[in-house]
This record gives sequence, structure tokens and C-alpha cells, in this order.
Amino acid sequence: MGRMKNLLQKSLKQLTVFAFIVFALSIPSYFLLVDWIWLNELDENNELIAERIENEFNEQKISDEKLAQSIQFWNEIQPVSKVALIHQPLVKDSQYTVMRQNPYSTKEAIDRFRGLKTNIKINNQNYSLVVETNVEETEETVGYIAMVTLLFFLILVVGFWILNRRLSKKIWQPFQDTLQKLKSFQLNGQNRIQFQDTDTIEFAELNATLDKLLQHSIATYKNQKEFTENASHELQTPLAILKNKLDILLQSDDLTERQYHIAEEMNKALIRSSRINKNLLLLAKIENSQFDSSELIRFDTIALQSMEALQEHFKEKKIDVSTDILSNVEVKGNSGLTEVLVNNLLINAIRHTLPEGSTRITLSKSAFEVSNSGEQALNPDLLFKRFSRMSDDNRGSGLGLSIVQEICKLQGWTVKYDFGNKEHLFSVKF
Amino acid sequence: MKILLIEDEKELALSVVEYLSGESYLCEVAATFTEAMKKIEVFDYDCILLDITLPDGNGLKILEELKKENKQDGVIIISARNSLDDKIKGLQIGADDYLTKPFHLSELTARIYSLIRRKQFNNSNIVRQGELEIDLLAKTVAVNKAVVTLTKKEFGLLIYFIGNKNRVLSKSTLAEHLSGDFADMLDNHDFVYAHVKNLKKKLNEAGCEQFLKTVYGTGYKWEG
Repeated sequence: MGRMKNLLQKSLKQLTVFAFIVFALSIPSYFLLVDWIWLNELDENNELIAERIENEFNEQKISDEKLAQSIQFWNEIQPVSKVALIHQPLVKDSQYTVMRQNPYSTKEAIDRFRGLKTNIKINNQNYSLVVETNVEETEETVGYIAMVTLLFFLILVVGFWILNRRLSKKIWQPFQDTLQKLKSFQLNGQNRIQFQDTDTIEFAELNATLDKLLQHSIATYKNQKEFTENASHELQTPLAILKNKLDILLQSDDLTERQYHIAEEMNKALIRSSRINKNLLLLAKIENSQFDSSELIRFDTIALQSMEALQEHFKEKKIDVSTDILSNVEVKGNSGLTEVLVNNLLINAIRHTLPEGSTRITLSKSAFEVSNSGEQALNPDLLFKRFSRMSDDNRGSGLGLSIVQEICKLQGWTVKYDFGNKEHLFSVKF
Repeated sequence: MKILLIEDEKELALSVVEYLSGESYLCEVAATFTEAMKKIEVFDYDCILLDITLPDGNGLKILEELKKENKQDGVIIISARNSLDDKIKGLQIGADDYLTKPFHLSELTARIYSLIRRKQFNNSNIVRQGELEIDLLAKTVAVNKAVVTLTKKEFGLLIYFIGNKNRVLSKSTLAEHLSGDFADMLDNHDFVYAHVKNLKKKLNEAGCEQFLKTVYGTGYKWEG
């Protein structure tokens, strides 16, 4: 993808390149134009000079011999114009440009001259007159124009740059504002974004479109959550009916042992469905912010209660449990949810520690940690995802750790998974 | 014993009625708020099973009404709403117990049993079966007047069995009763077997007749 640049920088680069091309093209154009004007003016000037020379000679009203002498003298003192007697008048005036040594300069310097060869009549005799005027050399003109152009180009680029900085601050401010608001937007926060008013059509349109999109997303998300909640709710009744019918079935006198075991298997599956359903409902409720998480709770008490309730299950699997629970740990949260969080982490440890493995439970002022022995690191990205099971054992609801994560999110805590020293470590920081 | 079941779900009501009819319970059903209010006004019940979400009103209103009239009926809320708020509110208004759907009928029966015993035998709440004596209030067990020390779980199991006399209780049902919410999250239900075995052993050693029978290999039944 390359280096990221902001929009204005990108356009600045393009503009600079474009300006450069335009200015570069303008140099020959200016040169050609200036040169053309120059030569035209000099042609006119040469003609005026020719006319003046013709008039001046004629006004002398001198004899032909004297004229011949004067012309010779003229030709000597005016090396840039030559008068010569011709018998046949020239058919046409001719203009030309020539490069030669400047006769007035002592230095060796080749200059450019614009010449006019025309007819004049002095004392009714035909003369040819050549007038030459010094013109600025091509390279010099090009050089001067290029220098001026470059100066303007630099002024333009610096101007662009300064304007750019001011524009990005001022004009793009509503955009930056929108961007900031979008960045901090959370779909499950349920709050609509109040965009800043702007008089820029594009931004107003962007904000309006975003507002529409967000409202739609919020509505959809809300619907979806409500759907989960409603669906789980609706499922409770049929599940309850099934459960109760099974209870009744078990009481039949003519039930065979095989039928009993089938019923028992159904019961187990049913307990699992109910559990999944309950957990989904719990997740939906957490996401719908139906819990107050501002009470002051004693984490150590909850942890100890939970451990006591589950102690026999640790014992049964011969799991070596070591605990380090700091007392008087007060945190802000919801006691019911915190209990669920602790239970889920402990049950997770019971289920996934191999028999005769070990589990360590630590509570400090700022963190609650559960670690258990294991062979391989788990994928932390999938671990907290709903229904992504890490083991072949599919008896759990597949929601335990998702619930842990959601509870942490709600209460402003973080949960992290680490693996090291053949130990899975789940740490909750508050 | 008269029980009023206030439940709008017909199938659920039928199951409860059928399960309870085996006992000495007379079970009536009210499917709506209005119907329930009418029955409550006229009759007294030993126990009322109350569903909070009714088609024409909130079940908690019925509870409030009962308390206002100073009726002594025991009330167990049975609700599909597993909301802690409802539970706390229900218990605050004066419900005696709270059960979340879906529940096992054996769990409901055990709760009804405990509730009625509590309500009726305020001072001495002692259950006797043969040489076995259980003081529900003091939570003590004696065989031939000799005290048998049981753990909290074992005592709970015993009451559960007594409350579901002559009924088949499966291992998974007991597991749910014992470990509540997280029974299914645990890999196996052998802990049920361990508790039952200990209970049986303690009663047996104290010289108690074997009322608890194993049925269908993994189920249990308290005979009496």
C-alpha cells in the first residue's frame, strides 16, 4: 500500500506537478511570443529608420556627386545601415535575422541582429538600404523568462503549501469532527451521533448519509438483540414442557431400562439446550445493558464462595488447587454477573484440566487470575468467540468465555489469555 | 393439600397437575390473571404456583393483592424470566420461593413440600419414616434417636428424596439439583453418585432401613 498521505498532500503533489508542467510549457510559449513581438517591433523600427534615412537624404537637396560622397561617408559611420546604388529597384523588401560580431563592441561577442533590406529613392535614383538592429539573443530571453517563471512557480508552491495547511485545519474541520465521532462510536452503545453543523455541501451530505446509515445499523442491531432475547424467551416454554414431560415419562410403571436410558439421554441434551438458551439470554441482556454495574462488591467473597461450591469437582478430578486470595478486594461491578464470571472461569479450569493436573487461583488488588496446566496454547482470537470450541468435548454451552468477555466489557474490565510454562492463564484486570 | 397453579401455558399446567396428582395434592389451574384473582378471593390454598407473565396482567400484582389481604398462602413464583430484578422483587413482595423455567417437576415438588411443611409446622417440623427422623427446621437427622451427621449437600439430597417419595429421580436431575446452574457444564455426573453413596452409607451404618433404591441402573427412588 505504500506510505499513507493525507488527501490534501496528495492533491498538493498533483497540483505541484501540474503547475510545474504548465510553467515549463509557458517558458517556450513566452519566449516565442516575446521574440515574435520583438522582431515585429524591430521590423517596424527598421522601416521607420529606413524612411527617416530616405527623408533625411532627400531633404538635403544636394547634388548627385555630393550625394555619392555623403552616402560613402554614411556607410562608414553607420556600419549597421548600408546604402547602395542599384539600377533596378528590388522587387520586394526582405527581412532577416543574422548573428554576427557587434561592430561597436571591442569585445568579441556574437550578437543577434534583425535586418531590413529595402528600396529607397534619393534624388530619384534607386538605392538599396540595409538596416540592422541588435536583438536580444534567444538564450538570454529564454533564461530571463525561465528565471521569472521559476520564481512564480516557487511562490505558487509555497502558497499552495501554506493554504493547504490552513485549509486542512479550517475547511476540513467538520470532516475531522465527523471522523473522531465515528471512531469513538460503538454500535452497542445505542447512542446516536450528533454531527456538527456544516455549510459545506459535501460534508453535510456525508453527515446526513452517515446518520441514516448509523440509525439503520443501530435499529438493525437493536432488532437483532431483541430477537435473540425474544427467541430465547420463547424457547423457554417449549423447553420447560419437554423437561416436564420427560419427568412424567420417568414415572411410568411400564418403563423399560432401555427406555429410561433414552429418556435420560434426552434429559441431558435438554439440560444443555436450556443452558445454551439461558446463556444466550444472559448475553443479550448484558449487551442490552440491563445490568447495573455500579455497585461496590467484594470480589474475594465471591471468589471464595464460588470456589467452595466447586471444590468437590476439583477434588473429583484430583486437581491440585493452589489459591492466593487477597482479602478485602472491593471492585465496582454487578455482583450477580461477577459471580457468573468467576464460576465460568473456574468451571472452565475444571473441565479442561486433565485429571491430577493443577490449577492456581490468584486475586490481587487489581486482577483475578485462573491458570491451569495444559499441553498446548489455544488460539486467543477464537477463544472468546461464541460457539467456537477449543476441545473435542462439546458438552459445554460454547458461551462461557464469551460471557466472561462481555461481563468484563460491561464492567470496564479486561480479560486476557496467555500460555506459558505449560499453563493456560486467564487474567481479568479491573 | 390445595394447590393453585396460575399458568397460561396449557401443556405446562397439564404436566404439573399430572405430576402432583400422585401425591395428596389437589391442584387447581387458573390460566389468566382474572381467573386467578377470582379464585384467590374465594378460596385459601396451601401453596400458589405463580407465573409472572400472564396474558392479561402481571403475576406480581396477584402477589401484592395476596399480601394486602394478609393471606397466608405460600407462593412459589415460576417464571420464564431469569431476571434477577424479578426474583428480588418477587421475594421482597413476599413470595416464598422462586423457580426459573425450565425446571424439573421433581424440583418443584421438593420446593412445594418444603414450603408447605414450613408453613404448617411452624414450631416443630419433623418428618418421620420408620426409625428415621428429620427435623426440617434444625436441619438434623436422627436414626433411632441417634443423630446422624450429614453434610449440607447430603441433607439437601435427603430432603429432595423425601419430597419426591416414590418417584424415579434420574442422575442428571439430581446433578441439576445439586450443582444448580452449572451441572451441565461439568464433564460427568459422578459426583451425584458419590453424594448418594455417602448418604446411603451413613444412614445404613446408623441402622436405618434402606428406603433409597437404585432403579434402571442409574436412577434413584425413595420408597415409603
